[in-house]
Amino acid sequence: MRNVFEATRRRFLGSLTSGLAGMGLLQLLHGDGFAGRDGFADEASPLTRVAAFPQHPPRAKRVLQIMCPGAASHIDLWEHKPELEKRDGQPLPGEENYVSFQGKNGPLMKSPWPLVPAGQSGKRISSMLPHMAKHVDDIAFLHAMHSETNTHGPGCIFMNTGHEQEGFPSAGAWTSWALGSVNDDLPAYVAIPDLRGEPPNGQANWSNGFLPARHQAIQLSAQRAIRNLARPASITEEEDRATFALAGRLNQAFADSLPSETELAARVSAYELAAKMQLSAPEVSDLSRETAEAHRTYGTDDPNELKAAYARNCLLARRLLERDVRFVQLFCASRASGVDGLLNWDAHKTLKADYERHCPIFDQPTAALLSDLKRSGLLDDTLVLWTTEFGRMPTRQEGTEGRDHNPDGFTCWMMGAGVRGGVSYGATDDFGRRAAVDPTTVWDFHATALHLLGFDHERLMYYYNGLDRRLTDVHGKPIDAVLA
Amino acid sequence: MPVRDLAWRWATSFRLTALALLLASAASLGSSRGEEADSFSQSVKPLLESRCLGCHSASIRKGDLSLSTRQEAVDSGFLVPGAATASHLIDVLRAEHGEPPRMPKEGPPLTDAEIATLAAWIDAGAVWPEGVVLREPSKADASWWSLQPRVVLDPPSHDDAPEGWNDHPIDRFIFAKLREKGLTPNPPATRRELIRRVTYDLTGLAPTPEEVDAFAADTSADAYERLVDRLLASPRYGERWGRHWLDVIRFGESRGFERNEIIDNLWPLRDYVIDAFNRDRPFDQIVREHLAGDVLAPDDAASQIASAFLVAGPYDDVGNQDAIQAAQIRANTIDEIIRTSSEAFIGLTVGCARCHDHKFDPIRQADYYALYATFAGVRHGPRELASQSERDARAAKLAPLEAKRAALTKEREELVARFPEPDERAKSRLSEMDAAIAQANAEIAAIPALPKYWLGTREAAAGPFHVFLGGSPERKGDEAAVSSLGVLDSATAPYRLIAEASEGDRRKAFADWLVQPDHPLTARVLVNRIWHYRFGAGLVPTPSDFGYMGQKPTHPTLLDWLAQRLVDEGWRMKPIHRLIVTSQTYRQSSEWRADAAAADAEASYLWRFPPRRLSAEEVRDSMLAASDAIDQRLGGPGFRLYKYLQDNVATYVPLDEVGRETYRRAVYHQNARAAPVDLMSEFDSPDCSFSTPERAETTTPLQALATLNHDFTLDMAALFAERLQREAPGDANAQVEHAFRLLMNRGPTAEERDACIGFAKEHGLPALGRALFNASEFLYVP
Repeated sequence: MRNVFEATRRRFLGSLTSGLAGMGLLQLLHGDGFAGRDGFADEASPLTRVAAFPQHPPRAKRVLQIMCPGAASHIDLWEHKPELEKRDGQPLPGEENYVSFQGKNGPLMKSPWPLVPAGQSGKRISSMLPHMAKHVDDIAFLHAMHSETNTHGPGCIFMNTGHEQEGFPSAGAWTSWALGSVNDDLPAYVAIPDLRGEPPNGQANWSNGFLPARHQAIQLSAQRAIRNLARPASITEEEDRATFALAGRLNQAFADSLPSETELAARVSAYELAAKMQLSAPEVSDLSRETAEAHRTYGTDDPNELKAAYARNCLLARRLLERDVRFVQLFCASRASGVDGLLNWDAHKTLKADYERHCPIFDQPTAALLSDLKRSGLLDDTLVLWTTEFGRMPTRQEGTEGRDHNPDGFTCWMMGAGVRGGVSYGATDDFGRRAAVDPTTVWDFHATALHLLGFDHERLMYYYNGLDRRLTDVHGKPIDAVLA
Repeated sequence: MPVRDLAWRWATSFRLTALALLLASAASLGSSRGEEADSFSQSVKPLLESRCLGCHSASIRKGDLSLSTRQEAVDSGFLVPGAATASHLIDVLRAEHGEPPRMPKEGPPLTDAEIATLAAWIDAGAVWPEGVVLREPSKADASWWSLQPRVVLDPPSHDDAPEGWNDHPIDRFIFAKLREKGLTPNPPATRRELIRRVTYDLTGLAPTPEEVDAFAADTSADAYERLVDRLLASPRYGERWGRHWLDVIRFGESRGFERNEIIDNLWPLRDYVIDAFNRDRPFDQIVREHLAGDVLAPDDAASQIASAFLVAGPYDDVGNQDAIQAAQIRANTIDEIIRTSSEAFIGLTVGCARCHDHKFDPIRQADYYALYATFAGVRHGPRELASQSERDARAAKLAPLEAKRAALTKEREELVARFPEPDERAKSRLSEMDAAIAQANAEIAAIPALPKYWLGTREAAAGPFHVFLGGSPERKGDEAAVSSLGVLDSATAPYRLIAEASEGDRRKAFADWLVQPDHPLTARVLVNRIWHYRFGAGLVPTPSDFGYMGQKPTHPTLLDWLAQRLVDEGWRMKPIHRLIVTSQTYRQSSEWRADAAAADAEASYLWRFPPRRLSAEEVRDSMLAASDAIDQRLGGPGFRLYKYLQDNVATYVPLDEVGRETYRRAVYHQNARAAPVDLMSEFDSPDCSFSTPERAETTTPLQALATLNHDFTLDMAALFAERLQREAPGDANAQVEHAFRLLMNRGPTAEERDACIGFAKEHGLPALGRALFNASEFLYVP
């Protein structure tokens, strides 16, 4: 059977070596510089790492990405702008008649809440995030992010894949492809959608793109089990076991008769892995194994159903990370409904009411999850990324109490493995309108994350339709200032 | 164009010409010293091109600097002829104060010797021969193999070929390469293997047990050829092969991007493709109809529908009030059409020349914007589909009814005006008239509207068009002519349209150029796709990239021979399929040999037939066919394996249970973008955001879970069991025999029979079906 996968692997190694003038492949594989590569390429198991190896010692072994879709406002959550507060109600200098995504903008509008000092560093963040305030000293804020698009769908895709167009692999898929899985019983990459639904552009946010299908995220949440995981109700456990046994016996005999066709052996292991996953996935999702205190701290018992659901997903995320899932992509909010700002952070018209709904859902459960990671030591080798697709205008949308889309300046942050805490890198201008100091691209953000995972973003490549493709396209530079 | 503008343009161009003359004379003054001119072309030009032009070319202009022409270099202050010390260019290249040099940003700094060369050249007057424009050289130039005319050689002949390998032209080419590599081919496959292979390859379905028996028993010399002819004539052929073409043209039935609204009226394009393959429509005609069918034959429905190709890709329809963003989105939409067209038809990644000249292939940014102009009039959306006579006929039916309604309405208005307070008689007359108007309305409504399909609309989109520097519509560069790809000008007749050419003519010119019989790429790319789907890998292993980043052909002479054959056959594909599947190369066994594998593990040189896994469609269709549940209706609106929800944006929720209306062949599934569905997505059915020239073939636990636990499997297992009982009533032995022959085209071994009879006795026949659907051999084409 033609093995596309094998061809790809060779191609990858080829690309890699051709990119390293003068350095032989053997030296690459066995050189001292790659001490961090544990468990290199176990060919027998389709879920294990396949193609790449860290190119320098990694700081992070796994990633937790928290995504708040809808364009969570940088100036109302993370970046304090005294000048904006002072000039509330005045026109935005130089852009008095600016037309953005939904239309005309009115005057400057200060945040409805104060940004208050937190932690040792006194970093000011929104008073709406009292629990997150405990973590600011461990966070590296990137205040001068900017995006290429002002539209949610392409923005989310851009944030997650480095391209505005659908069809490219997400950062999680790249990580799965590059590092594979440490744990055969669970998928390498899990996406946890919010109770309210999928994010803008849906499943393209965790797509494998042109990478092999197994690198797409498995969807799993506290509300929904892995699809097709459970034995159908009409089939008894005994019959199911006998079915696995009969299929296994036929498939083993067939694979034995054609030992050259490695895909056939891989199929036998795929059924073994499926059976293992049927046992371990329900175990990891079983939140009743958590203590009452854990439930309380995360807020799973909160009367606000949306907050309780997100809290359960935070608990699930921690359980997945504890079991060495490589990449967990946790969503807080969903795509838009017909009403702006109701289901996600897209506060076009009623910012105050919208964020009084969203902040409490996000704050306590996220903070509890981060505290847990820190207490257990997992944070030492887990990279935490907080992301959104772009920012919001410092002005009010004409005739409303909300803010329009602003791709020219926004905040993301990093924390954990290899990240220097208590750093604020870059800044928008006095009003929060545009990235002004140390502008940072989504590609820089990804280059930094890949760096922490042990990869040079310019050498992690996969050939597809005419190019050696990268998560960072042809851009990006790791941000040294946030590295510990 | 208003006269005033014309005059202004004359004046401008006069000024530019005058300036150019001045510069030229300055340059020629310098170039009278031939030595300096040599130094420029031998050492300065290569240095600037390889180390500076990657960022500072006319099309990229990083830091607003272009070193493409002498004038630009001088204007920027980077070059002061005669004074190297005053030239900023030298400053940025030199390391100063222990700091590394500022330029180049990428790669090692220039050596002292290189800097000295540049400085000496500047000091000597910076001689730059007239008209020379520097460009970063692409890795491949015009001599790249795929851009050359076909070289058609006779198939080589071999005295030492194994039996049957010196007759068929394909075998003669293949054997030549095998012999060169010290390899020998496999013996022929068994009849059972062969009929399973060729039936799946040409129709996407397994042969029935009766077909296998008949073929095994047919000892006539042309038994196989007759089998092939039967399969090529089957409508199932178009469904199988059409699906591959639909992958290549990124056919998807939702708009993609954020809203991703479903498209319910694009299915006629899918039917066009299936029908075109079934009727063996010449490929040159298909290409022309895809790109310009609406212009070529406005009254022909099939032609019009074919041109839906242009708008079958994803596009962003969110609606952006920000003018800059809106322009960028429009440019992205056209870019999508350019990429798909150039990759699908000629295997070139023209899209890579959007922001700058192609880094690898000799494709200029101007070539990209020539295609931009070509597609600039295309807009996504539905359009009425009717010929003029159909429009006229409808109008003729409507006219008297509308006239009658107008007369009644007028009369009623007069009546109301005359009787502001109507008496009984007037009231009765009014109500009579209301009834008559209602009647007329009903009659008008009863005349069916002309059908609307997702064909896209067209707008004039008049030129002139410009290169967008760095790909940004905000930064307009030189004017872009509507012309053919410059690098092929000597290989096939070029075209260059006047700026006023209509958008339809622009598309037509491009389409006509693509299918010129001597076009080096179109026929090669198509026969390679056919080869790829027959053998699992193309003669060029990168079917949509015949450029530098793709791979070179394993059998260049065979590729050219086949391409010529396609053109000679009038661009009909069935003769090419027939040629390939009747070769010994195709008919040999897939047996693996250690000695041959040591030399050629992938069997790139085809010492064996490479076996394959069933595609997603084949898996689903085969379960339906084996269970005798398959609905073989051709065409029409598709079925859905998801629930479609729309609330501002669209959501596709995969169905837990599916009904009989979904028991059609998978090619009729309404494939939405970013909407994975059970079974299909697990078995590598692609998301149709991009052209997919080659599908992955993966093996995952999720496949196992889908084929074990999804409701579809259970339904199929139940229907399969019913069939076994119906066709082999009460005989466990015969039921197991039949099950194996239906799914694997062979009977069970004694051991398999015993195991399966025991299993069925204990757990029932449906359980046996469920287990056998999970057998590797069921998914395997030997």
